Amino acid sequence: MSVETRQSLPTFRMPAGFNGLLPALVLIVLFFVVPVMALLLRSVTEPEPGLQNYAALLGDGTYARVFFNTFLVASVVTIVTILVAFPVAWMLAIMPSALASIVFGVIILSMWTNLLTRTYAWMVLLQRTGVINRTLMAAGISDQPLPLINNLTGITIGMVYIMLPFMILPLVGTLRAIDPMTLRAAALCGASPFQAFRRILLPLSLPGIAAGGLMVFVMSLGYFVTPALLGGTSNMMLAEMIAQMIQSLLNWGLGSAAAFILLVVTMALYALQLRLVGARRMSGGA
Amino acid sequence: MTQPFLSIRNLRKAFGSITAVHDVTLEIPKGEFLTFLGPSGSGKSTTLYAIAGFQDPSSGDVELEGKSLLAVPSHQRNIGMVFQRYTLFPHLTVAENVAFPLRVRRRPEAEVKKKVADMLALVRLESFAARLPGALSGGQQQRVALARALAYDPPILLMDEPLSALDKKLREEIQGEIRRIHRETGVTILYVTHDQEEALHLSDRIALFRDGRVEQTGSGEDLYLRPATDFVAGFIGNSNFLAAEHLDTKDGTATIRLADGSVVSGVRANGTFGKGQKAKLMIRPEAFGMERSPASAELNVEIVDVAFYGERRRIVARTSGGEGVDIRPTSAAMQSQDLAPCSRQVFFDPTAAFLFPA
Repeated sequence: MSVETRQSLPTFRMPAGFNGLLPALVLIVLFFVVPVMALLLRSVTEPEPGLQNYAALLGDGTYARVFFNTFLVASVVTIVTILVAFPVAWMLAIMPSALASIVFGVIILSMWTNLLTRTYAWMVLLQRTGVINRTLMAAGISDQPLPLINNLTGITIGMVYIMLPFMILPLVGTLRAIDPMTLRAAALCGASPFQAFRRILLPLSLPGIAAGGLMVFVMSLGYFVTPALLGGTSNMMLAEMIAQMIQSLLNWGLGSAAAFILLVVTMALYALQLRLVGARRMSGGA
Repeated sequence: MTQPFLSIRNLRKAFGSITAVHDVTLEIPKGEFLTFLGPSGSGKSTTLYAIAGFQDPSSGDVELEGKSLLAVPSHQRNIGMVFQRYTLFPHLTVAENVAFPLRVRRRPEAEVKKKVADMLALVRLESFAARLPGALSGGQQQRVALARALAYDPPILLMDEPLSALDKKLREEIQGEIRRIHRETGVTILYVTHDQEEALHLSDRIALFRDGRVEQTGSGEDLYLRPATDFVAGFIGNSNFLAAEHLDTKDGTATIRLADGSVVSGVRANGTFGKGQKAKLMIRPEAFGMERSPASAELNVEIVDVAFYGERRRIVARTSGGEGVDIRPTSAAMQSQDLAPCSRQVFFDPTAAFLFPA
């Protein structure tokens, strides 16, 4: 493949049938490239030309706190999602396929259910007088309502629930590709179940964890509905801040700059993943 | 020998209503190369898995030096194993794969280094230490698997059809390697295969499995020259079975009448037969000769086709009753006039013919 690329680079020609692709290309430019450019332009021209929007966002303690919060929430959500998804994915990978497809169906069904509905359902469950708190108090496990909503706990619970399928699906693919005999071999080599997990299963499932983890992290960075409904005022995330800047403050320049920063961070992470996955492939690993 | 090294006692394994292993008892002395030979589904792999700890037997016991292994989990049994499929760890290099069993045992790094070097030298892959398994051929991968399985000096090495995924030439080459390694290390090897040639070539002793039981145990020569049952005779080597009627037995040799009415005496009787009992006579294809000798018996056949196979010829023949006979004399033993399709007599030594119950 590398040879082919090297040969075709110096003599780049329009591929055959290119004219047929023109409408699609126009569509992409018109609706994807132009708006991003407009966003960038607005962030450096409103209210007046210059980088003052970026300076304000990156220099101000309040905004910095929002950025910090955004990364904190995305990181916590990603880690918890990986921890919850791994055993589920492993179970799905080794389960008889008929049963696994039923469980897959349930997971996909939850993805198809309206996001807002699911988030409101969590509000009902998590609030002070919600089902969970009442059950805990009735069972005598806790004598006062636990703060499960309008804080990081609430955001994490709600978002992990929504992100789980995006983690489980790539992970199941990776885990299924691992020959179970490899783990038997590890056991006979003297590896305890934990050692086999640590030294064999975990490294072999890393590509799936990385792919799913990055997807979850990037989606979490820009998430709006769930943090807005389940979080508190002190947990404001970037998407919420952008909404406020544009809807309430009508500060399009600042909102655009914040959106552009989010875009750059996302693309940087994506590039990082491409590099990591690419390097793994080149070295001939799993 | 007061106590066998490894003993398998009355091993039985049932999966629901299906019994894979009925009642297997085997005693294996230290340093032996024992092959479990048998068709697929005969229980040989299940027996091996019970020793490895992948399957708990329904009843019976597996003892190593007098101590039962059954309560010991796989990872504490200290047994080496090479699998049918390539089970090297794909993310670790060849050297790291071989080092893996030593690292999980927390051996000092200097010892690990030395042992890995020794093992790679044993399987002659020193120059491949830094490669990943994906960059090796199937045969090389199985040699690394062998090195990994021997790195911690296990008392027993289990091999589950390790060569079945390789082509014939490579298989023969690695068979030679396995024999050499067995000789050099003195490890006790239990080897599972369905390939009788492989079993004959490699083993000190063969346990022939059939339907979850051991049909016969013995050296390759025992099984080939002194088969206990017609199944053994049919499974090991090539054999002709001719319908026969038992007339009389004296001192283990029988007199019989073949389907064409000819009477043959002096064949070996396996089992006891009544007068007039239906039986079958087994004769190896290479036991036939084209020339009469004083002790030989004769068989009237019609020669249908003759093919040249290098050192031997292969003759497709038929008795007057229509039974197919496979005859493989050495090429030198045949004159060119014998090659044309014709009716003639071929000869065999009755003591190399076995009578089995029909």
